[in-house]
Amino acid sequence: MVNENLVKDAVKEPYKYGFVTDIETEKIEKGLNEDIIKLISQKKEEPNFLLDFRLKAFKKWQKMKEPDWASLGYKKIDYQDIIYYSAPKQKEKISSLDEVDPKLLETFDKLGIPLTEQKKLTNVAVDAVFDSVSIATTFREELADHGVIFCSISEAVKNHADLIEKYLGTVVPASDNYFAALNSAVFSDGSFVYIPKGVTCPMDLSSYFRINSGDSGQFERTLIIAEESSSVSYLEGCTAPMFDTNTLHAAVVELIALDDASIKYSTVQNWYAGDEEGIGGIFNFVTKRGKCLGKRSKISWSQVETGSAITWKYPSCLLLGEESVGEFYSVALTNNLQQADTGTKMIHIGPKTKSTIVSKGISAGNSKNSYRGLVKMGTKATGSRNYSQCDSMLIGDQASANTFPYIKSQQPNSEIEHEASTCRISEDQLFYLQSRGIEFEEAVSMMVSGFCRDVFNQLPMEFAAEADKLLALKLEGSVG
Amino acid sequence: MEIIEKIKTNKSDDNLTEIQKICLHKLQSSPLPNPKSEKWRLSNKSKLSNFLDYSVNEKDSKFDIPYPKNSQSTIRLIVGENCQIKLLKKNYSIQQLSEDELEKYIKEQISLFKQNENWSDLLNLSLSCKKNILGLKINGSKIPPIEIFSHASSNSLNSKTLVIFLEKNCDVELLQVNLGKENSSLSQSTFFCLKENSSVNHGVISYGKNRSNLLNSLNVIQQKNSAYNLGSLHFKFNYARFEINIKQSTGNAKTNIKGMQITKKDEQISTYTKIEFNGPNGFLDQINKSLADDKSHAIFEGSIIVPKIAQRTDASQLSRNLLLSNLAQIDTKPQLEIIADDVKCKHGATISQLNEEELFYMRTRGVTLAEASKLQLSSYFQEIISFIPISKDKWDLLDKLLNEN
Repeated sequence: MVNENLVKDAVKEPYKYGFVTDIETEKIEKGLNEDIIKLISQKKEEPNFLLDFRLKAFKKWQKMKEPDWASLGYKKIDYQDIIYYSAPKQKEKISSLDEVDPKLLETFDKLGIPLTEQKKLTNVAVDAVFDSVSIATTFREELADHGVIFCSISEAVKNHADLIEKYLGTVVPASDNYFAALNSAVFSDGSFVYIPKGVTCPMDLSSYFRINSGDSGQFERTLIIAEESSSVSYLEGCTAPMFDTNTLHAAVVELIALDDASIKYSTVQNWYAGDEEGIGGIFNFVTKRGKCLGKRSKISWSQVETGSAITWKYPSCLLLGEESVGEFYSVALTNNLQQADTGTKMIHIGPKTKSTIVSKGISAGNSKNSYRGLVKMGTKATGSRNYSQCDSMLIGDQASANTFPYIKSQQPNSEIEHEASTCRISEDQLFYLQSRGIEFEEAVSMMVSGFCRDVFNQLPMEFAAEADKLLALKLEGSVG
Repeated sequence: MEIIEKIKTNKSDDNLTEIQKICLHKLQSSPLPNPKSEKWRLSNKSKLSNFLDYSVNEKDSKFDIPYPKNSQSTIRLIVGENCQIKLLKKNYSIQQLSEDELEKYIKEQISLFKQNENWSDLLNLSLSCKKNILGLKINGSKIPPIEIFSHASSNSLNSKTLVIFLEKNCDVELLQVNLGKENSSLSQSTFFCLKENSSVNHGVISYGKNRSNLLNSLNVIQQKNSAYNLGSLHFKFNYARFEINIKQSTGNAKTNIKGMQITKKDEQISTYTKIEFNGPNGFLDQINKSLADDKSHAIFEGSIIVPKIAQRTDASQLSRNLLLSNLAQIDTKPQLEIIADDVKCKHGATISQLNEEELFYMRTRGVTLAEASKLQLSSYFQEIISFIPISKDKWDLLDKLLNEN
């Protein structure tokens, strides 16, 4: 029998990204109304079409109701008590990284994100977003040589307005859901990626989102367009300081893949999850969707969700193009009083489309971890296939694991397979490992890592190692 | 509100039983189920309103029993036909529940109802007059097979209620047949209480006719060491819902369910199951099959609920579906809600058509495509049919499924 006290007394790793950067910021007043939206748009010197987009979204949002179907228990959000724009004060335009406030660079260094160009060896281009604005984007020239556009979405609005106007809101329309409408009205920054025809992006692209201010929400928007026969791997990471209050994060990510293009989107989400009593933490309401427009296009989502007090996230694929492929690999870990309601939607519209879903949920403490997914075969999806696998691991008898797969088929010439299982850390396996001299905590983390292997294998190298370590840290002291 | 008016105009207040009054009162706050709720969102609204369209009928017309009673020992009962039964034998006894017992138990059940989840039961109990409620207490072993029929009359809305207590250590085989008539609606609610160490092989066959409708609800409470085996088949209904609620009140019980629904033309048949484990060491093995052809729609939603107290639960649920036409559709949603950690729970779901490789293999052996399809279908059906306690020589269900349109 596992010694409960020994485990509970084990050293707990504090949330190491919980520091606050003391920096002068420019904030607008709290609240949300048309004037605020106009002000955000004006601050970002946006063209009229974008202001219209925002105002229309705002009107739709006002008529919508906050969804409650996920039965997540959280206190009501006062949308008028949030600051919708917060940016570190900077001198005029920055021409190189040397001009970025050293405090900011230091912050990202502390987070392990290399913004300085000498760290080229990592070969990952980074777009760092601090509260509402993008601070810096590295490797831009190298990428530009290949025709790849990688910049903040605010810059893209200025320099590539035609692409933004053409694609923004085409995958996730403003009226899609409550949080997408809110994001469309107030989004402040985010990343924009454009991979031209036939180009394989020479390096991984990455965005790093940092919430610093306690009373402002973060509403970033990411748009990735992969033209014919191009491919890109995109990584996203997030952290936030520890505050007693809850901070709202409502992001929208849109991916578009044309003929033979492939986009791999990986996330390691480690927002502050609140303390053991459930005080503080990020409310993470995210809409992520990819559209496989072209023939043989492919969109692959992989995510490791360990943070946030509340996660509400369903990265989806609309499989329109013939023989297009959608993938979703997810590990969601919840501990203490965290609640995660996450999963995916695979909508098969075109013929011979394929999708794979692998979801691993680990619930510990008093947390609630749900997989909620939809697989739909439309009438034209002849010869399409889906395979889903959802496994849950329960640690302790206070945590809950739920599985809600919605499966709908209107096409006889298609196949859907779904399987789900629930298990716990087997005492026999633990005993075996311990009898071989492996420490208890290490044995648990080995088993968890084995449980998640299918997903970790899909993550880019750097992320896989980080995710593994992250899970081990998060679980410390939670096994009883 | 229409349905409530309909019941009231049919009868004066004095003629309503107390249970009817309680249920009518409850229905008043939600005369129709919430179409946005999980349990009703896929339900065809116009079909449901068609169900409620017929006038309420408490009298029964004659009907044909689909197969003859070929064994003298079989006990055959028809709900609504004032059947008086009191069998006191050496090994067993079957007798009717007294009015007080019946009322007390039904009231207890009503107090546990949730408005939206038990809407079908509320409707049933609002409609069922005394005559159409049959309560049985079964005791003992080596009991001859029991057959209970509920049927609808044409152009009317009929309601039948069945309450069965299986006393301790009782072991019985019970077949329930719900028969639809042309243009009819039948509301059938069954309440089963399995006491300690009792076991039942329960078969439910719901067999409709053109444009017949059915709301069939089954509520089972299992006490410890009881075993509940259910084999069910629903077919030939314009609109049918089969709602199963099983509660293992203290765990330590076994539940086996094998169910099937077959939809053709523009029919919609759905099965909803909710299995709750309120104690440790519970066991569940469930398989639900659907077959949808033509323009029909088959739905399955099954939830397994394992709270903290239900340690060492072993539950599995499988939903297997065949979609045979371009215009038909299938929705399935098996779900798990688990808090206990020392459990083994799994579910699976598949939707596909007939296996092409198998068809090809048979055709290379000279079997025609039609024959090969039939062979495959019969193996698909057989797994469920063999679980229903009725022999092939009595009523050849497989033949009905394969050869009747």
